[in-house]
Amino acid sequence: MDSQGGRRIMIEVLKPGFETSIQDYPGRLGFWNQGFPPSGPMDSWSFRMANLLVGNAPGCAALECQYLGPSLRFTDDAVIAVTGADMQPQLNGQAVPLWRSVAVTAGQTISLSSARSGVRSYIAVAGGIDTPPVLGSRATFNKAGVGGMGGHAIKVGQMLPVAAGAGCPGLEVPETARPRFSTDRQWEIEVCAGPNDDWIDEAGHERFLNSFWRLSAKSDRTGFRLEGPEWTFTEKAHNKSRDHGSLPSNIIDHGYPLGAINLAGQTPIILVNDGPSMGGFINPYTVPSISFWKLGQAKPGDNLKFRLVTVEAAQDMAAQLMALCVPATLVTI
Amino acid sequence: MIYETPRFLPAGDRYILIEFGNEMNLLLNFTAQGLASAVAAAGINGIIETAPCFASLLVHYEPSLIRRSDVERELIALIGAMGSFDKIELSSRLFYLPALYLDPWTKECVEIYCRTITPKTPDPELLVEINGLEDVNHLVRLHSSSEYWVASLGFWPGLPFLMPLDPRARLTAPKYNPPRTNTPQGAIGLGGASHSIYPVATPGGYQIFGRTPVPIWDQSVSHPDFEGEMCLFRPGDRIRFVPITRDEYDEAEARVKENRYRYTVVGYQKFSVEAYGQWTAKVGDAL
Repeated sequence: MDSQGGRRIMIEVLKPGFETSIQDYPGRLGFWNQGFPPSGPMDSWSFRMANLLVGNAPGCAALECQYLGPSLRFTDDAVIAVTGADMQPQLNGQAVPLWRSVAVTAGQTISLSSARSGVRSYIAVAGGIDTPPVLGSRATFNKAGVGGMGGHAIKVGQMLPVAAGAGCPGLEVPETARPRFSTDRQWEIEVCAGPNDDWIDEAGHERFLNSFWRLSAKSDRTGFRLEGPEWTFTEKAHNKSRDHGSLPSNIIDHGYPLGAINLAGQTPIILVNDGPSMGGFINPYTVPSISFWKLGQAKPGDNLKFRLVTVEAAQDMAAQLMALCVPATLVTI
Repeated sequence: MIYETPRFLPAGDRYILIEFGNEMNLLLNFTAQGLASAVAAAGINGIIETAPCFASLLVHYEPSLIRRSDVERELIALIGAMGSFDKIELSSRLFYLPALYLDPWTKECVEIYCRTITPKTPDPELLVEINGLEDVNHLVRLHSSSEYWVASLGFWPGLPFLMPLDPRARLTAPKYNPPRTNTPQGAIGLGGASHSIYPVATPGGYQIFGRTPVPIWDQSVSHPDFEGEMCLFRPGDRIRFVPITRDEYDEAEARVKENRYRYTVVGYQKFSVEAYGQWTAKVGDAL
């Protein structure tokens, strides 16, 4: 029973999919100084739209599916929306349109299969998923066992509680307000210089910005490993106090911005939502928040090309997206 | 060196990194921690959180609420208003942490790395070589001879960044290239001049040469010695590693499993920056 005395909707996990997790946006903020990452959805654009479709606040807790989606049974009538990657969702065998709010009746099962375009799909339910917050957030940090349900990705047999909500079916995100996924396995990713751009020499910067970087299979929600050319460094990286560590990419441990292109030896790793808050490698570039949705939808083996933008330009783009992620953007069909 | 004026480095659309210097010493750490406290106390609208480390402070802000230039202006004002750290005394808990040096698990982890990623000198031997020590036993004696200062927490929940307080115990090391994809829980390591303990099995870049059997992270928040926190340590604590045998390791591990392990913590001491400065000057003269 919820506070209004109605029956509480539960979602039964029939198949968990691949590390399907409860996330909220912007996630677990305020604990970076103890090593807790924000977590939250990798593609917050698709995530926010899913919530808006079902009448929730854009940051409300919902499910992130990766590569292979789950099968979920609803104990009661509900309104849901699926956005992001196309995992060909079906409701009791009937195709469910993406980017649209739909009604689910008690006992129905939604099943997602493997992602056809993109990587991550979002399932929002009117009212939002109502697991107990940990350190102020319901977001799951699967690797450390924090948040979500029991700390981890959802498991078969779990019952996910849903808060009372008032969504209505038949709303849609117009095509112009959806992220456009790459169809040729190439992505242009915005990047800002710094904080440690002065450790890389001219040739190194040129190689970084002019090469395609292959997204390694050794990538997950903590970091995206990139394969590409060698890095070369300035005098500053070679001639320094031993406190930094002796290799050119070594620096006295410092705080990492989310999105940092973290140069661990010669291997660049983009630090993403479940990434480390500190460490002892340089970060010559930082991917701004506006490009995270692209990272969230890029597959291992895809090629990333980086485009240098100013901090101000990146902030303007984030503001534009924030202005788009509002109920007024939706259309009735 | 300590910079005359802190360097403000842009870090994407939501972060600024402030560097106070390019070496590791207690004064720089006090500056970073001091500014973090000042930012928290000032409650500036749009500043979300900070992450202080040895010689720098990362500031996370929300650009829809505050402009980057205004964040910098606020921080410069707070830095200007910070007092001197020369005379402060602060409460500092001292943890005695059991450590099995040259343990089989970190050894195996390094062997797997050599086989599957890239060959390298085993970590303890590399530290001996780089720091001009006699042998691995010398490394163990030196590492266990000093108290370690918890300069900050980060990388992973509960992971402490440590520096030895005794200048005679200073060691340095390169970081892994590329990093390990795994590290045993409780591994004790060194990268640059920074020491650490891995709270759980994670990727890692430090050279590893010992392991503690006792957890430093408890997500159930149930152990009394964690005082209601998930992380055992907080900045300003000190740690002393106590060398133990394999039998003692197994005994401690069994106690942990049965919820019978109690940490040895000394809680009455104060850390005096002035007295520490005088002592290190004396030790430095003798070096």
